[in-house]
Amino acid sequence: MLNSIKGMFITLLSSAKGLREPVTRQYPATGNLLQREEAPTPVQPRFMGFPALTWDEGVGEPYCTSCMVCIRHCPTQCMSSTMKDNPLQAEGKSSRRKIVDSFEINLNRCILCGICVEWCNFDAIVMSHEHEMSTYVRNGDRVDLPVLLELGYKHQKETDWVPPTKRGK
Amino acid sequence: MLISWADLGWILLSLFIMFNALSVVVLSLTWLERKALGRLQRRLGPTRSGPMGLLQPVADGIKLIIKEDIIPSSSEKAIFWGAPLIVMLSAFMIWVTIPGAQDAVIKNLDLGLFYIIAFSVIGILGLVLAGWGSANKYGTLGGLRAAAQLVSYEIPIIMVAVSVAMLAQSLDMREIVAQQSSYPFVLVQPLGLVVFFIAGLAEVGRTPFDIYFAESEIVGGPFVEYSGAHWSLFFLAEYINTFAIAALTVLLFFGGWQFPGVELAGYLAVIWFLFKVYLVILVIVWIRGTFPRLRIDQLMAFAWKVAVPLSFLTVVMTAIYQFYGWPAWSLTLMSLAGLVWVGYAIYRRMAGPASRVAQTKKRIQARQEELMAARRNRAERTRRG
Amino acid sequence: MADAARNVTAPPLDSGAAQARPVSGEPVEMLLNMGPQHPSTHGVFRMVLWVDGEKIVDIVPHIGYLHRGSEKLCEGEQYHQVITLFDRLDYIANFNNEHVYVRAVERLMGLEVPERAEYLRVILCELNRIASHLLFIATMGLDAGAMTPSMFCFRGRERIQALFEAVSGARMMHNYFRIGGLKEDVPEDFMPRLRELMPQIREDLEESDKLLSFNEIFLARLKDISPVTAEDAIDYGLTGPCLRASGVEYDVRKAAPYSLYDRFDFNVPTGLDGDCWDRYYLRVQECYESLSIIEQAMEQMPAEGNVLSSLGRRLVRPPAGEVYVRAENPRGEIGVYLVSDGSDRPYRLKVRPPSFCNLSAIRLMLINTWVADSVVILGSLDIVMGEVDR
Ligand code: SF4
Ligand code: SF4
Repeated sequence: MLNSIKGMFITLLSSAKGLREPVTRQYPATGNLLQREEAPTPVQPRFMGFPALTWDEGVGEPYCTSCMVCIRHCPTQCMSSTMKDNPLQAEGKSSRRKIVDSFEINLNRCILCGICVEWCNFDAIVMSHEHEMSTYVRNGDRVDLPVLLELGYKHQKETDWVPPTKRGK
Repeated sequence: MLISWADLGWILLSLFIMFNALSVVVLSLTWLERKALGRLQRRLGPTRSGPMGLLQPVADGIKLIIKEDIIPSSSEKAIFWGAPLIVMLSAFMIWVTIPGAQDAVIKNLDLGLFYIIAFSVIGILGLVLAGWGSANKYGTLGGLRAAAQLVSYEIPIIMVAVSVAMLAQSLDMREIVAQQSSYPFVLVQPLGLVVFFIAGLAEVGRTPFDIYFAESEIVGGPFVEYSGAHWSLFFLAEYINTFAIAALTVLLFFGGWQFPGVELAGYLAVIWFLFKVYLVILVIVWIRGTFPRLRIDQLMAFAWKVAVPLSFLTVVMTAIYQFYGWPAWSLTLMSLAGLVWVGYAIYRRMAGPASRVAQTKKRIQARQEELMAARRNRAERTRRG
Repeated sequence: MADAARNVTAPPLDSGAAQARPVSGEPVEMLLNMGPQHPSTHGVFRMVLWVDGEKIVDIVPHIGYLHRGSEKLCEGEQYHQVITLFDRLDYIANFNNEHVYVRAVERLMGLEVPERAEYLRVILCELNRIASHLLFIATMGLDAGAMTPSMFCFRGRERIQALFEAVSGARMMHNYFRIGGLKEDVPEDFMPRLRELMPQIREDLEESDKLLSFNEIFLARLKDISPVTAEDAIDYGLTGPCLRASGVEYDVRKAAPYSLYDRFDFNVPTGLDGDCWDRYYLRVQECYESLSIIEQAMEQMPAEGNVLSSLGRRLVRPPAGEVYVRAENPRGEIGVYLVSDGSDRPYRLKVRPPSFCNLSAIRLMLINTWVADSVVILGSLDIVMGEVDR
């Protein structure tokens, strides 16, 4: 009997605490129908969202040389890419001999494991913080190079991304 | 012609008003329950539709009504269709004679209490039919559970109601409330209140007695095949019944709309009455937020071994008190003695498991302490040596 | 009731529901199909119950709805890719799963793991054990019909997962342990956050413990439900809390200390009766033990150091050979049998999943109980279908 009554007071106490600081939060927006304020879920810095390709601003081209290392190491084989000769290299602007021509990731298949980022030798791929990309279309999350670069560029801007090989060693 | 056209029109109008008022009450109850439960669990509860999520029930209602109403092909169509109506009917009909204040009642009956109890039993039939008609084994199990549970808890409710009627010397709800102008009956019959409240919880299937639709076991019991508007009828009836039990608790034991010392009139009385009822509802939600669910055999054992004998005891005690004309506090004492006995009975029932459990806990704790001591010793030795 | 259940001589279960007969010889009224879509079969487990009224006369478990062929998949993946598959076996205790796999490969290669990495692994594994047990307490409450403990427990679990996210970048599928160490060092604010987290977890744990464990109704629902004797538990190969509840003090961390577990003082709580309540309460107590292990590990851990062995990030090709490695998962003893033929992919990989072996006792436990008990008993076994079906 006693424990049941104790339990009643525990829930009561919890509600008192809950009124002060509830543990849940409103998602994806606070306010009501009239005043809507976007409130996306905060993520940790290391959060692994969908993979994206980075953009070398100094040169004005993607980092990716389409070397296929990530593609071979992806456990779900969800990526594919083709390469071409780098026109900028011919002009002498870039040191990359080859550059990515097309790149496709099927994000529906990607398991967000981060292996691709780990194995890329050219700092070309990052796990962005993007994780809300549902579409109503089957295979709607098959993204190609422009989308990936855009995602990556957004991520670079948001997090002041430094290429891993250039990070302080 | 038994009644005139004017009377008929008047009755229809008041029934219409009652229907709408009860619907609004149900909306408020669903909101209250979700919000209160959320707060008990440190959640926010509904927030998005309207200020503080107040429009959430409306949104739910719209969604339920436009949802597809699926009828399983193997079900008994007529029964499947009729069952929600029966449940609904009994839920609504009892409100004809439950007064919200002296004059806020559709038709006050001299045998009001009798009528309420008689009509509330019909709902069981609907649940059993729903379970059987949906041709689903969970439904059948749920329907049978509902029959067993509701029929057995009907008895304590009736007996306690009888004892209250004996105290008030009337079955008329208004009269019962009027009799409590000096003191509410909870003061003389606390045992009655406890038995009535527990049996009432079981009667409307609230936690810890939500056995006949136990989501985690039989997945909604009789309602498992229902969807859309039909399901919402059950939903409506369930909340109206909850509200009715809370209202009856207030009417029978907490003096209805009587404010101690002051004669309330008109709207004030209704508001005061509603305030009390919502407090009782909050307690029901609070209980839901705290307790697990009983098992059906434990529930039945509790009904027949504890609740039924106790309810008879309340009748006997009230009879003795009335017959010998003892002072009111004597009944209070008797009643409290009964309450202590309940506590003791539950304690006895749980004594075996509880001691076993305590033993386990003690053993584990002892070993933990041993380990801690050993660790402390080792730390001491390394510091010294 | 329970004795009768034990005396049932279980006839061999042939495939298909049709062959299984009621064993008691009583008239059978109804065949109740529970699952795979049922709120409390913990995933997609299906039981076919023969019920006589509300009494369970016989039961046939059906598994395989979540079969993904993980073991076969492992043969086609390189060693470092297999880690992602292990994340998805017991998807509640990911770190523990990764740990046992990387240990298997390391043993095969005779690889030395930096001490700091090993300490971090232990800390993360124990945190994961707490998170897993918190989920168990939550679902146990839900199975018994109590809503609030689940919310309390999820709060604690959420905090742990936020820390996991900060460490590994994912809340559940971490892919953080590497053969020979860790993917990268923990973030700088890891230790302060962990220190802050410990009392919070303890608080959450205590709150739900106080609310649920000794509640009279909860006791009535769980105590003396389907007790399993020590002999039966051993015969059926139960491990983990399900075995310890029956009073057998067996924990791989103590019986065959692996990793760094011989450096910590901790208890192996055991139960008295082996009933549902004991199985429940042991897990609550194990959480406290895990907390104490984490505290000790935090004290002993070197503050600096490498977290990846000298092997570094390279394709691993273990020498040909075979190895069996076991570990104590939150659900029991997990074993990994790994055969290598010297290539970069495992030749054969077999997992002994604790949930699967624990589930084998379900028939013994369920016969002669109530329908309402079946969910509680199943809940007390704490199965994860991802691991049962693999
Ligand atoms: S992302 Fe990196 S590893 Fe993948 S193709 Fe491009 S450069 Fe190669
Ligand atoms: S995150 Fe993993 S699954 Fe996704 S693309 Fe990269 S390697 Fe493939």
